[in-house]
Amino acid sequence: MDSDPMVALTGQVARDFVGNDAFQETDTTGVTTPVTKDNTFASDPDTVGSDVSEAFALAREGRPGPTLVDLPKDVSNADTDCEPDEPKVPDTYEVQERADPEIVEQAARRIENSSKPALLLGGGVIKGEASEACREFAIEHEIPVITTMPGIGSFPEDHELSMEMAGMHGTGYANMAVTHCDTLIGIGTRFDDRLTGGIETFAPDAELIHVDIDPAEISKNIHADYPLIGDAETVVTQLAEEIETSPQATKWRAQCQQWKSDYSMAYDAPEDRPIQPEFVVEALDEATSDRAIVTTGVGQHQMWACQYWTYTEPRTWVSSHGLGAMGYGLPSAIGARIAADDDQEVVCIDGDGSFLMTLQGLSVAVRENLDITVVVLNNEYIGMVRQWQDAFFEGRHSASEYNWMPEFDKLAEAFGARGFRIDEYDEVADTIEEALSYDGPSVIDAHIDPQANVYPMVPSGGDNGQFALAEDQL
Amino acid sequence: MTGGLDGPAPEERPTPAGRRTAQGIRVDPEVEAEHEPRRTVISTLVEHEPGVLSDVSGLFSRRQFNIESLTVGPTDDEGRARITLVVEEPDPGIEQIKKQLRKLVPVVSVRELEPDAMRRELALVKVNAMRPDQVAAVAEMYGATTVDASPETATVEITGSDQKIDAAIEAFSQFGIREISRTGTTALARGTTDTARETPPEESAQQTNPQQPHADDD
Repeated sequence: MDSDPMVALTGQVARDFVGNDAFQETDTTGVTTPVTKDNTFASDPDTVGSDVSEAFALAREGRPGPTLVDLPKDVSNADTDCEPDEPKVPDTYEVQERADPEIVEQAARRIENSSKPALLLGGGVIKGEASEACREFAIEHEIPVITTMPGIGSFPEDHELSMEMAGMHGTGYANMAVTHCDTLIGIGTRFDDRLTGGIETFAPDAELIHVDIDPAEISKNIHADYPLIGDAETVVTQLAEEIETSPQATKWRAQCQQWKSDYSMAYDAPEDRPIQPEFVVEALDEATSDRAIVTTGVGQHQMWACQYWTYTEPRTWVSSHGLGAMGYGLPSAIGARIAADDDQEVVCIDGDGSFLMTLQGLSVAVRENLDITVVVLNNEYIGMVRQWQDAFFEGRHSASEYNWMPEFDKLAEAFGARGFRIDEYDEVADTIEEALSYDGPSVIDAHIDPQANVYPMVPSGGDNGQFALAEDQL
Repeated sequence: MTGGLDGPAPEERPTPAGRRTAQGIRVDPEVEAEHEPRRTVISTLVEHEPGVLSDVSGLFSRRQFNIESLTVGPTDDEGRARITLVVEEPDPGIEQIKKQLRKLVPVVSVRELEPDAMRRELALVKVNAMRPDQVAAVAEMYGATTVDASPETATVEITGSDQKIDAAIEAFSQFGIREISRTGTTALARGTTDTARETPPEESAQQTNPQQPHADDD
């Protein structure tokens, strides 16, 4: 769902044993079919090289996705004189780069005549390297910009036109804008239910211009009035060339600014309560550069990391969007550290529950001396589950309370990483400074207000425009 | 609990006038279209390789598409097989089925057939042969051939549309049906219309309709 190009090479029992329930045999191509873009059982030592080449080509071409080659032991051990083919996709795989010019023209007319236009930038904008083209387009025509969660970083959140993220825990102003716009230009987004809320009330007055490289995403969840199949950057450029006059939307932009002040994300941080998580996220953002990469697990901390960090560059936000896989934070921080430039900080904002799922990765980070900083927003709860149990199940906490959480600072030290702990507001800035300056993996166990909840919130299947600002509005 | 934010409460906010159907289509109050399921035939040309049938059938169960029948067989090209699907879905679902099929890497071409396409199904029906003359008479009525006979049984082969086969089975049931085996529908488009075929290289190079990534404009 997150369209990440990834190649998995999996080990299989020797060909003679396949199908016999041999030791450690699993029907890997069978069990991975629903979760891969394509997979292959490499049945021949002469073609296994080409199978792998093709897997690399397919993972990246068109809409990216995971591919897999299952390698029987006797095939990977065999000798061959065959050279693998150059990486190329099979002839049956075709990708359309340019959208139908007629529909581009109609969409351009619609944008020109719109009085309440909005851009909705998804992860496809970042994957398609279209962030720059979208920025120019939005600024040139002064169109307010909403992002999805994977689209975070495609447009600078400190820009006047930015409405930030929409959806279940999106900003109030983004949800107002998406609900009230008359023309929605969705680029590289699959209109996930966490974004749309109830379909009936999603952008109900808007004509939808949908740009996507995957034809199957067009009109899957939300009907596209102007289906534009193609590469995001190419199609945005086509649109930009076709539009002659910017939409007249002064009133709409003023309305959007008004919503930004009406539904400000300003939070309370009373001195007599434990540290609020938003404060820690803002302090981290403050202490790092604009190009710092943030990775997260899944849950409340992930939402605070979306909401209270100001993202300005593409590929600085790394998270598990579609599957929402807890434990994603540390492994992706390790990957990001290896891929990132030396001057980019890598910060993993994690939850106590998510961190506990994959923290053994610290041994890799220590072994490779990877300079990453993990900040655990520790509330000793599986917080998002606890928040739902409070809101929808009369506070009956089931399997969400973890008052036996380990002390993560000591655990980090046990792995050979640096460990820190924060309990008070006045420790936050200094501890972050010290952890960031340590050249190697460090973990800050930040004990936050265990009762803190994430708002705004659109309940599952609800109306985006009716987001709750507090529990009593749910 | 903490974490609440300030701002106008939900009931104080303006609400838009429109809405969408459950299929994501914006409701134009003048023409509110409800999509009823309809039955149609989708023909796909696929690479003849292991796993392709499970790719296709897995797709249908995973995405909860309603499938009535699926048949598969070789073609004149030994590298290609044809899978014929009968599905019952509303229009947006049928569009989604075609797009999802096209996304599968081993799928070469996908096409929804016109309602007038030739559709045939084959059935083998084994009945009790206590009254052989009457069995033969019913068989003749439906153009069925007797392919096996024993003192107690007769097996007939019937080819035709699924309605014709349903009717024949109904007629044979008077003798007492022991077993039935049906193939499911296979189909070809009429006349010079293509069913779902491979694009010759020169045609695909100068493809005129950029809306269709595969050469199966339907």
